[in-house]
Amino acid sequence: MLKPGDAAPPFDLPCVFDDKLSHLSLDGIRSEMVVLFFYPRDFSFICPTEVVGFHKARAAFKAEHTSIIGISVDHAETHRRWAHELGGISYPLLADDGGKLARAYGVLDENENVAMRATFILDSKRTIVYTVASPINVGRSVSETLRVVRALRSGKLCPADWEPGGDFGPPDGKY
Amino acid sequence: MAVLRPAEQRRTFERLANIREIVFGVQDGVLTTAGVLAGLSGAVPVRSQVILAALASTVAGALSMGAGAYLGTHAESAVLRNELDRVRRESEGQRYMVQESLLGALAREGLSREAGYRVVKLLSSSPNVLYATAEEKLYGLSGATFGNAMVDGMLMGVAFLAGALVPLLPFVLIASVRTGLIAGMGTTALVLFAVGYIFEGRLSGERYPALAGLRFLAIALGAAAIGYMIGLLIAPIGTVPAG
Repeated sequence: MLKPGDAAPPFDLPCVFDDKLSHLSLDGIRSEMVVLFFYPRDFSFICPTEVVGFHKARAAFKAEHTSIIGISVDHAETHRRWAHELGGISYPLLADDGGKLARAYGVLDENENVAMRATFILDSKRTIVYTVASPINVGRSVSETLRVVRALRSGKLCPADWEPGGDFGPPDGKY
Repeated sequence: MAVLRPAEQRRTFERLANIREIVFGVQDGVLTTAGVLAGLSGAVPVRSQVILAALASTVAGALSMGAGAYLGTHAESAVLRNELDRVRRESEGQRYMVQESLLGALAREGLSREAGYRVVKLLSSSPNVLYATAEEKLYGLSGATFGNAMVDGMLMGVAFLAGALVPLLPFVLIASVRTGLIAGMGTTALVLFAVGYIFEGRLSGERYPALAGLRFLAIALGAAAIGYMIGLLIAPIGTVPAG
């Protein structure tokens, strides 16, 4: 699995966005930061809470100049039907058919041939600045991802559980 | 237009699940009693004593086999139910894992993932239906799995008794010990063949039911012959030297 400091592997893959099939490349994303979140499969009972959770929080991420991209090994057309099933998804779902991109990020489960539940946050230079992977039975926290994006964008030393408006660093070195 | 009658069909399946007890009981009753008659006829000169001993062996065998089947099924059901309860309790705490596993099972059986998702979603509208379906699909557990201890015990005992009568009746009805014994062995072979022919041949839809009958006969008599030969081999061990 890639780690903070690694260059994000580029991609140019089919996707579904706003109910339309198209293509999306990493170079084509103009936002300051990018959240790439891999999930195992469409039409699964484990992943929808995360997929829908990011959809509901999209405005908050947009306010932080951050794009959200969902990625699984499913076809784009399957993504489209899955997005329909979930009531519409407001960010692109990438079709990593064959799992090549998941393998490039080091998050392909070779036995199941699906992506692990892993999240990468990329900065403006498309360098990985944050990674997290979760076991299959534990959903990721959308609000935690948003908190980390805000902390990263602050450019300052953020203590544990830092929230926007909170103090930066331990100013006097005391804990 | 043919209409499925699930309750009727279910009862049929449950009855068919008891074939094991019937075949086991008949085969054991036939062979055990034939063995007792053959053995005692050579050792005990009085015919009535041979019949009495064979009757005692039959009753004891039927009771023992019936009780064994009852206890076996009862213990098996209790352990299975306990394990199923434990799995059910665990499943209730992680419903989505059950849904995902069931979805995987349906997909492996050929349903598309999307169709499987919709089926499981529909089943999930009733948790009991979801868990019961998952238990059947994932663990192969159903009502028939648990058996009925009382039915199994009764069937086994009665089957043993019926089997025992096969060599016993000719022996009782024919006055000559030798002729009665030969007739008893004849009916034994005939019934063993018939059990194989009916249960393994006709009811299982085998192409050549007679072959199934012969196979059953060969296995049953083969086992008896091996037992007899082992008896001959170990007989000298129990012989007390004279003087």
